[in-house]
Amino acid sequence: MPLSGPPHVPARAGRDWRALLESREAILIAATVLVTLIAGLLNHDFLAVSNLRFMVLNSVVLGLVALGQTLVIITKGIDLSVAPVLGLAAVVSGLLATRQGLPLWGAVLLVLALGAVLGLINGALVSSISIPPIIVTLGTYSLYGGLIFLYSGGDQVNSVPDSYAHFGNGVLAPWFPVPIPILVLLVIMLAVWFLLAHLPFGRNILAIGNNPAAAHHAGVPVKHTLTSAYIITGMLAALAGLIYVCYTGSATATTGTGDHFELQSIATVLIGGTAVAGGRGSVFGTVLGSTFLSVILTALVFLHVPAIWYSAGEGLMILIAVTSNSLRRTATPGRSA
Amino acid sequence: MTRALRETPVTARRRPRVGGWELALVVLLLAQLLFFSLAVSGFYDGVSGLLNVTTNFLPFGLVALGLVPVILTGGIDLSVGSIAGFSAVLMAVLWKHFGLSLGVAVPLALLAGGLLGALNGLLITRTRTEPLIITLATSFVFTSVTTAMAGAEPPSGFPDSFNALGTGALGGVPYQLILFAVLAVVISLLITRTRFGRSVVMVGYNRDATRYSGIDVDRTVLGVYVISGLMAALAGVVLAAYYSAVRSDMGDILLLTALTMVVLGGVNIFGGEGSVLGAVLAVLILGFLRQGLLIAGFSDMVTTMVTGAILLIAITAKNLLAGGGFVARLQARFARPVPPAPSPPENAMK
Repeated sequence: MPLSGPPHVPARAGRDWRALLESREAILIAATVLVTLIAGLLNHDFLAVSNLRFMVLNSVVLGLVALGQTLVIITKGIDLSVAPVLGLAAVVSGLLATRQGLPLWGAVLLVLALGAVLGLINGALVSSISIPPIIVTLGTYSLYGGLIFLYSGGDQVNSVPDSYAHFGNGVLAPWFPVPIPILVLLVIMLAVWFLLAHLPFGRNILAIGNNPAAAHHAGVPVKHTLTSAYIITGMLAALAGLIYVCYTGSATATTGTGDHFELQSIATVLIGGTAVAGGRGSVFGTVLGSTFLSVILTALVFLHVPAIWYSAGEGLMILIAVTSNSLRRTATPGRSA
Repeated sequence: MTRALRETPVTARRRPRVGGWELALVVLLLAQLLFFSLAVSGFYDGVSGLLNVTTNFLPFGLVALGLVPVILTGGIDLSVGSIAGFSAVLMAVLWKHFGLSLGVAVPLALLAGGLLGALNGLLITRTRTEPLIITLATSFVFTSVTTAMAGAEPPSGFPDSFNALGTGALGGVPYQLILFAVLAVVISLLITRTRFGRSVVMVGYNRDATRYSGIDVDRTVLGVYVISGLMAALAGVVLAAYYSAVRSDMGDILLLTALTMVVLGGVNIFGGEGSVLGAVLAVLILGFLRQGLLIAGFSDMVTTMVTGAILLIAITAKNLLAGGGFVARLQARFARPVPPAPSPPENAMK
């Protein structure tokens, strides 16, 4: 399957208002504001501070997972194992916190290490043995999912210590009333953006997604870069798991896999404007996408739309997001169907 | 293309089509059956008992059979689980609430599965979007529709004559196994002996070359998603007969296992390479493995874990044995095709 057409050159949006207004990020912001206003007009409670706060908080976990997924999808890869990684991190940190009194900083280090190891396994299989990412992570999806059960033995987390709950729900300081998870998401979003836009490692990721062979010939360390991308994705999924257990105060063996975080995160990345063909991606789009999903799902609740239609709505949003992409691209006959 | 470089000499084509991977799978299957029969008491309970075990996993096999043509074209269908649920619920609702006999409801449910598959195929070919995305999106939509259709209390309690499809047997051979065997042969013949089947392999092997040789790529792609939808619907109907009940989420478990079966069967996830025989062997290997472990008293999650491990070990072994470094593969995958592509599709079946 050859790549066809010239490599996509991202528009320099800063100089061109039109391009800026037509960017996926702008559309997502407009759509989010629009949905918020409409839902707010129909039901004033929607605009209550507590609800706005809930909607943003609710998008943090998915946003973190999707940020990692963005990196992997830019390399033309995919990571289905983010769901069990999230679940494993949530269950391990939650159980250790309640049983052994693991301090919060220890839990942060633990889940980051855990996510790094699980991501390393994915990355090594993808880059060194050149197994297609979808197969690798399909295998590790089952493998890591089983680990959750082995570790927990069916036990579940029902509550977390106060320090954890504060990390998941509290604010940094009374004079700065922004919930901590949102700060975490913002910091990581900026870090991933900086990585992609300004560090050689990020450039290498984009290069591999555009054309692996050319990247190799240009001296990009393909194996190391790919492995690192999966490690970062694992770490972000695990961190999301910790925030999940801190935020909700509960975790079971099906946390992550039961909510289909692997599919949700892919959907978020696509809605955020990252191309599944690799080579380009939008970090801000991904985070805006997760916020938009959270807002629209909450709006549906407020408008008394039965919950069974949420997934249909999400499916339609993916279809709209990707087909609007392909309509905007001029015809590229060689693209794989 | 590496595949072209790795090509066996022309004379090798005269050898039987059963490749090394299929042989390895046969050995693995026999070793596994022998091991379980000796080591796990209660696993081997006569031949008919062994055959009866297959009813636990053949719905996965039906989905896997439908996925083979899709993956041969280099595509993927993530909506099989939701189509299976959709068709099963549709059948049950038509039977219970519309008073149709199951003899009418079942064909209608299968037709619906085929239509949903056609919808996938049309969206993929018309919007030129990756199958992964389209089928992910449609699976979300189908799931909602199925849940709405099923209502709070989905119909159950089908007549025994229908349930026999899931649990009955003809002279010791379960109906499910007969159905699976017949369809495996049909799809195998379709792939290897018909114009459509050869187009399927060619599309996966080299899409551009296929287009240049005057084959309607879009129609071929559309066709494989119809097949996949039909097979998923059939799996849903068989599951309904097996449980004598339907649930809107009953198809959820099918996708990952069926995909694992196809990949373990040696079908190249990028398309153009693989055989139905390999997939059938993988269905039996993973199915008996799962049942063997369950009978031995391992939990469901441990068996899932072992399934994942087997997939990774098998593919790792296959890749290491096949040789070829990572970079060479990447270059091959993304290089422009050499103009006189010397690749008769039969060779792709190695």
